Amino acid sequence: MQIIESGISSFKFTDPDEMREWVRDHKTRCLENKLMTEQEAIEGFVKDGDYLAFDLAVLVRGPSSLEREIVRQRKKNLFLAGKFSFMDCALLVVGGCVTKIDCGFMGGGASHFRAIEKGEVEVIEWSNGTISARFLAGALGLPFIPWRGLLGTETLKYSAAKIAVDPFTGKKITLLPALNPDVALIHANQCDKYGNARIFGPGCIPIEVATASKKVIISTEEIIDIEEIRKAPAKTTIPYYLVDAVVLAPFGGHPGAVPGLYDADFGHVNEFLKAEKDPAAMEKYLDKYVYSCKNHQDYLDRIGRSKLEELMKKEIREGYYE
Amino acid sequence: MNKIACTPEELMICTAARLIPDKRTCFIGYGIPQIVIILAQKLYAPNACQVYEYGAIGPEVVPPFRRGMFSDSRNNYRAVAWTYMNTMFAHACLGYIDYGFLGAAQIDPYGNINSTQIGLDHSRPKIRFPGSGGANDVASYCWKTITIMKHEKERFVKKLDFLTSPGYLDGPGAREKAGLPKGAGPYRLVTSMGLFGFDEKTKYMELLAVAPEYSKEDVFKNMNFEPLVAKKIEELKPPTEEELRLLREEIDPDRGIIGKI
Repeated sequence: MQIIESGISSFKFTDPDEMREWVRDHKTRCLENKLMTEQEAIEGFVKDGDYLAFDLAVLVRGPSSLEREIVRQRKKNLFLAGKFSFMDCALLVVGGCVTKIDCGFMGGGASHFRAIEKGEVEVIEWSNGTISARFLAGALGLPFIPWRGLLGTETLKYSAAKIAVDPFTGKKITLLPALNPDVALIHANQCDKYGNARIFGPGCIPIEVATASKKVIISTEEIIDIEEIRKAPAKTTIPYYLVDAVVLAPFGGHPGAVPGLYDADFGHVNEFLKAEKDPAAMEKYLDKYVYSCKNHQDYLDRIGRSKLEELMKKEIREGYYE
Repeated sequence: MNKIACTPEELMICTAARLIPDKRTCFIGYGIPQIVIILAQKLYAPNACQVYEYGAIGPEVVPPFRRGMFSDSRNNYRAVAWTYMNTMFAHACLGYIDYGFLGAAQIDPYGNINSTQIGLDHSRPKIRFPGSGGANDVASYCWKTITIMKHEKERFVKKLDFLTSPGYLDGPGAREKAGLPKGAGPYRLVTSMGLFGFDEKTKYMELLAVAPEYSKEDVFKNMNFEPLVAKKIEELKPPTEEELRLLREEIDPDRGIIGKI
């Protein structure tokens, strides 16, 4: 295949055979109890320098409790898939955990963007769609996937995609390198202790991210019995053998929403965005909500039961649990 | 001239809402487009099907609009299907999605847009923005794209600081030559001072209408290039009382997007 143009950026790439060997050697095939604390999961499965992916949509169903634990454990040099992110990339960047971001959509506030403007964090350009397609390729066990996005733009130039001549039509086509992250963090509505996870509502790419990643940590609002899973197998979004760790995290998406369960906490999001404007205020924020919290439960105690109940009361349940 | 007072955002939202035809599919992006489609469905296009990159098809969105929220239960409400992102962009790439809505930090005469950064050095941007998001995908695949942007001189540039998402690139045939799907591209640009299209032959931006209280010259003064001009420039109709009532009382009562007078 003739290559006409190549994006100039670096990228995380895993040879599909390396991925297969990883799966052969590291992924359990039997139903094992994978329940652990968020501290154990992040300590055990996230290394400095890892490529980290999450699944979420802006302020919806992000794995926030696991992200706070990463900051708490002061992980370094992470490479992030920043797709559809609002507070997630921003929190990990201001927490000093990140040196590179594959950018789809990356919201956030002043400190996070300042780190990019100062060159402390390298940004590699993609789009939401092309990052999703890279995960799809990774989930299919392929080295790359042909796609019709990025063509004609500087987004392609600053990505790591290539343009080739399609051998079937003779037209130009984008080749996207597959993405197989080291770690995926996914927040689910329900999960059993083995890792059979249910996600309710639309989702960005939970299945592709879970399937493509070497290590998968599920945080879940609720642990359910495998008997419930077996009674309604069509509800399973992610099957157990893709999963390495299961962490019980009620309100694990806070300050974001989990549709059907609780609404986003805009007061808290604004507190974070305000702190982003001033490094000293951000230090205070991180200290109050991350470093000085022993764990997720401790964080929830600081948010307060009445606040959490208020967020639940406002939520529409139709279509998710009913 | 109708003297109804409104904000620039209200004018843009109402102009854009009237562009949405009924019984068509519309790819709705984050922010202003979310408000445009709610208004359009209430008044002009009750049978338009909105689709979202996070996977919802045809929801009946529950107002009020809340800035920053996308894919929450109000946004997803009573959809006909909840799918995933790869499904939505596949539908767009297949040609199922008629209209795509975009925002922009900068636009050039061929409707190419920048939502990545200000400054020419990619490793040291002067101002960094959130990036393409779904814009590159929407601009590549949807049959007709509509961009909504505040009318400010520095946003209209001959050459973008960064070409994030494709318009007509450098003119007729360029999209197809680049390998992009045939026959798609920019359709309208809605600003706080006017409405633009793109000339069929040259694909160059063309002024179609100006907002009340502005002249053609006012519009040009606030651009870094001169667009083509339609044979007859229309005057945009200001927001109606009904549109403003819906926006202010039901859709955005906090005025997070529509702004305050």
